[in-house]
Amino acid sequence: MNVDSRKRELVKEFSPMLLKSTKWSKIWIGILVGFVLWGLAAFVIQVVKGHEVTGMRDNVVWGIYIINFIFFVCLSYSGAFISGILHFFKTPWKNSISRIVEIITVVSLIIGPIFILLCIGRLDRLHYLFLYPRIQSPITWDIIAIITDLIGCFIYLYLTFIPDFAILRDNSEDVPEWRRKLYTFLAIGYRDTPTQRNRLHKITRIMSAMIIALAIVAYTVLAWIFSLTLQPGWNSTIFAPYFIVAGLYSGVGVIIIAMYLIRKYFKLDHYIRKVHFIGAGVILLVISLLFGYFTFSEYFSRWFSHKTHDADLLNTLFNKYFWEFIFANYIGVLVPIVILFFKRFRTIKSITFAAVIAVLGLWLNRYLIVVPTLETPYLPIQDTRPEFIHYSATWIEWALSFAGIAAFVLFFILIMRLVPIIPMSGIIDYEREGKGGTYSVTQYQLK
Amino acid sequence: MGLLSGATTVAGATLLANLASEEELQASGEKIRVLTPDGKMVEVDAESINNYPEAHITPAESRKGIPDRKFVMVIDLAKCKNARNCVESCQKAHNLDYNEEFMKVQLIQDHEEAEPYWFPKPCYHCDEPPCVTVCPTGATFKRDDGIVLIDNDRCIGCKFCITSCPYSARQFNWSHKPKFDDTSQPYSPETSIPGTEGTVMKCDFCPDMLRQGKLPYCASSCPMGVIYFGDKNEDMVTNGEETVRFSELINDRGGYRHLEHLGTKPNVYYLPAVNRQFPLERGFDVEEDIIERYKDVPFVQDLKSQGKI
Amino acid sequence: MRISFFKYSLSIVLLSLFLASNIFAQEQDLSNYRMRFRFKSIKQPDGSRILEASFVATNKKDRKDRVPVYEADINFLNVLGEEKVPLGASKTSKEGIARITLPEDQYYLKDEEGRITLMALFKGTEELDGEEEEISIKDIHLDLGLIEKDSIKTVQVKAHTLDSLGVQIPVEETDIIISVEGMLSKMIIDEGTIEEGGYEFEMPIGLPGDVNGNITVYAIIEDHDDYGDVVQKNTESWGILNEQHKEDENTLWSEAAPIWMYVVLTILLVGIWANFVYTGIHLFKIKKEGEELELKTENE
Ligand code: SF4
Ligand code: SF4
Repeated sequence: MNVDSRKRELVKEFSPMLLKSTKWSKIWIGILVGFVLWGLAAFVIQVVKGHEVTGMRDNVVWGIYIINFIFFVCLSYSGAFISGILHFFKTPWKNSISRIVEIITVVSLIIGPIFILLCIGRLDRLHYLFLYPRIQSPITWDIIAIITDLIGCFIYLYLTFIPDFAILRDNSEDVPEWRRKLYTFLAIGYRDTPTQRNRLHKITRIMSAMIIALAIVAYTVLAWIFSLTLQPGWNSTIFAPYFIVAGLYSGVGVIIIAMYLIRKYFKLDHYIRKVHFIGAGVILLVISLLFGYFTFSEYFSRWFSHKTHDADLLNTLFNKYFWEFIFANYIGVLVPIVILFFKRFRTIKSITFAAVIAVLGLWLNRYLIVVPTLETPYLPIQDTRPEFIHYSATWIEWALSFAGIAAFVLFFILIMRLVPIIPMSGIIDYEREGKGGTYSVTQYQLK
Repeated sequence: MGLLSGATTVAGATLLANLASEEELQASGEKIRVLTPDGKMVEVDAESINNYPEAHITPAESRKGIPDRKFVMVIDLAKCKNARNCVESCQKAHNLDYNEEFMKVQLIQDHEEAEPYWFPKPCYHCDEPPCVTVCPTGATFKRDDGIVLIDNDRCIGCKFCITSCPYSARQFNWSHKPKFDDTSQPYSPETSIPGTEGTVMKCDFCPDMLRQGKLPYCASSCPMGVIYFGDKNEDMVTNGEETVRFSELINDRGGYRHLEHLGTKPNVYYLPAVNRQFPLERGFDVEEDIIERYKDVPFVQDLKSQGKI
Repeated sequence: MRISFFKYSLSIVLLSLFLASNIFAQEQDLSNYRMRFRFKSIKQPDGSRILEASFVATNKKDRKDRVPVYEADINFLNVLGEEKVPLGASKTSKEGIARITLPEDQYYLKDEEGRITLMALFKGTEELDGEEEEISIKDIHLDLGLIEKDSIKTVQVKAHTLDSLGVQIPVEETDIIISVEGMLSKMIIDEGTIEEGGYEFEMPIGLPGDVNGNITVYAIIEDHDDYGDVVQKNTESWGILNEQHKEDENTLWSEAAPIWMYVVLTILLVGIWANFVYTGIHLFKIKKEGEELELKTENE
């Protein structure tokens, strides 16, 4: 098999994805940009008028910003975790989805921290975090963890991109000049010689292990922001593992959704196949069981021992937040379990549906961790202003949340235009190792 | 202009300075009424309200604390009748709005059988303060004299301290207010004025008053002498009328700290509401809006259904 | 420009209206008020004497409504028969208080009994009537001894007056308050009566005193018909030095964190960054290898 011509074939196959934009994709991008602009407008209003424009008040000082923050950051961590595992253990069917996972990892790690910034009253003083650091504060740990993790993820993502950049560089006769220059620069003279390849494999492997460790540390620290306080709903020893499992739950969910959308819009049915969905579905099943188990133990022990303040919290949850609680912790867990448990329900569509339910349920689960706890402090809230008693997000907060999601998708699309969503080098490696069997067939061979 | 000059002649020449200087009018909102020798009653700036520029303590100096002191407060719940003078004098002194309260009076019921009681709640200036622990910039800090302060020049507004305080003692400045622009008095964490948008504020135990050897506003304004304040090192606390030994007060009257099991080690002690001096109902002699706050307390619901309030 | 001028003048007019209305609104009928003029003398521990006059109008109906008289000229005089010697003058403060301090060696006119008659005088204006208040006091000498009697810490008060010949006359039947000084107030530890020129009592135990263990004790005669206010104090290192509270150095809530936190954080960060650097070095090597390859192809 001639590797060079195979590379050319692959580039040809994928270049429409990189270069051409269809009418629909333009419309989509337009809509997304619209959302982002709407969010920007909301942001400007928030900066000018102060945090008063949000639904947050003295008791509930953290609202959906922090929930989005946890959500996106946990997406990222679970992405890193999964992709690290895929690489480290050389999982057989990893190739088609590993890049999706990696991109999710990095993009959500960029979007996530933006949300915590929205929550900060004095953005102009952000540098004080470095001027007057206090390492006792979990926020300091979190900042260190996020920055380190971001750097680690970028390095890792870049490592996995290098071979593809090299392929694109070598086969970019008919692309615009700037693109070729960019690829040449980014490929840093990677020629795919055996020494280079070995070197790259070695460091990628090390980094993949590193990424797993970083993900665990960083997500643990995030959970500690809550569990190290004295608040009844937060001060829990199982929060760190609970958050990690929860993160994986939503992470796998989002990956499945992304797989579905990418497969649909880029017609990649040959790369992203049902077997991938079933594999991911089974993982989601395992994690949903774990997640359900953690959720149950968390609330069950509170309910069983019912210390006064825990009981107050459960009271709030079961009265004010009854339906949210049912959706987040019953439907959000049980429906995916039921769908994924029975083999005959496991179709691509139903697995994606289960993933959507899981992701929504998890977001709501985070909401129920943050907001009701703050609405049920040790000393009862005695106030007459409704917004100080009960939190409800304003349009500013929603606009910024949707802008975050739009920006997430937008970044995703942009990165997909830079490198193919299916790693070409991975296909070649696979074929080179002589396992070019079932999964590595390309459209070319089929024709 | 005619009116102005007319007014000044009436007020007397010596008062001209006080009245005509617009700057000073803004300087301290606090006014007192005095009688001039011409037999006119006029309002002048009260001198005593935070008008001590010579005693200005910069944020850096305010981190040290008053040497060799350890401040404690003792609140005698048996004497409290929700007169709210503590709340109001504190608001005046710290230039707070109607709903901004460093000192809150809550209506607490310990269990079903117990009658509720009025519960004044400042910041507890905990010895092991979770709010200080979690602050990423050191904007809130614990001083050697036991006081926990906030330097709102340094606060980045992450609100972590608010979620960490188990006693809901902290408040956030959600938006800019005109009063923040008042620069007539340099900012000091010891006075907590002027406030700043996007930062946190809370009860500060009035170190500016303590430096002058005076009681915090809440303690000195309480007509019932509910709030005792003093230096634990001296073993003396005073409510302005009587001075007693802190250790005797706590031991004889069963003093306790709120939510002791949380391990925050507050510096505010409570004397239980036993042998009360006033029936609870006396506390409902306040604005409608304030009674509304306590609507969730079963006792208040009963009173309402009986048509007593 | 014109607009700003307009605004400017408008604001001045508004301001003056505001001020004027404020003042006129406050103009109340003085007949509802009773003027209270009080005068007292306080003998200080250092022998000096404070003369203090307070001048306040109180509402006849609402006793809580007190309005201090501000900037009123008060003259203080020493009176004997027809003779009047001015001692000083002062203006009332915003609290309505005028005060002067006379040194220990101030010369007073005394009558045969040794009484000093003092007077505070407000001359009066068109609107306010004149006021005067006289007190007649004897100069009392108060000694406060803090002594250990049979190793019992004892507070000993001695008091006498001098007659015109300079003979000491012990003070009788005079109430006295003993207190210790605190940062914010004085704490009363005993109240008693001076008999035969003396009063004694046992100091309560266990008082911490100040940082150095010093306790300052005050003996105070308050508002006495013959002596006015008299204050005496003395300091002795009788305090039980209580352990001064010092904040711990390396805690979660101090500025510096517990040492282990720095150690763990450093180890973690160094470990991770070593990895990043290692990766970077290898990337660099890959780059170099690529460049070498390129050179080779070019040479060929
Ligand atoms: S009461 Fe709250 S704000 Fe005050 S010191 Fe304690 S934890 Fe901090
Ligand atoms: S809000 Fe301000 S004082 Fe509170 S933890 Fe953050 S920086 Fe510190």
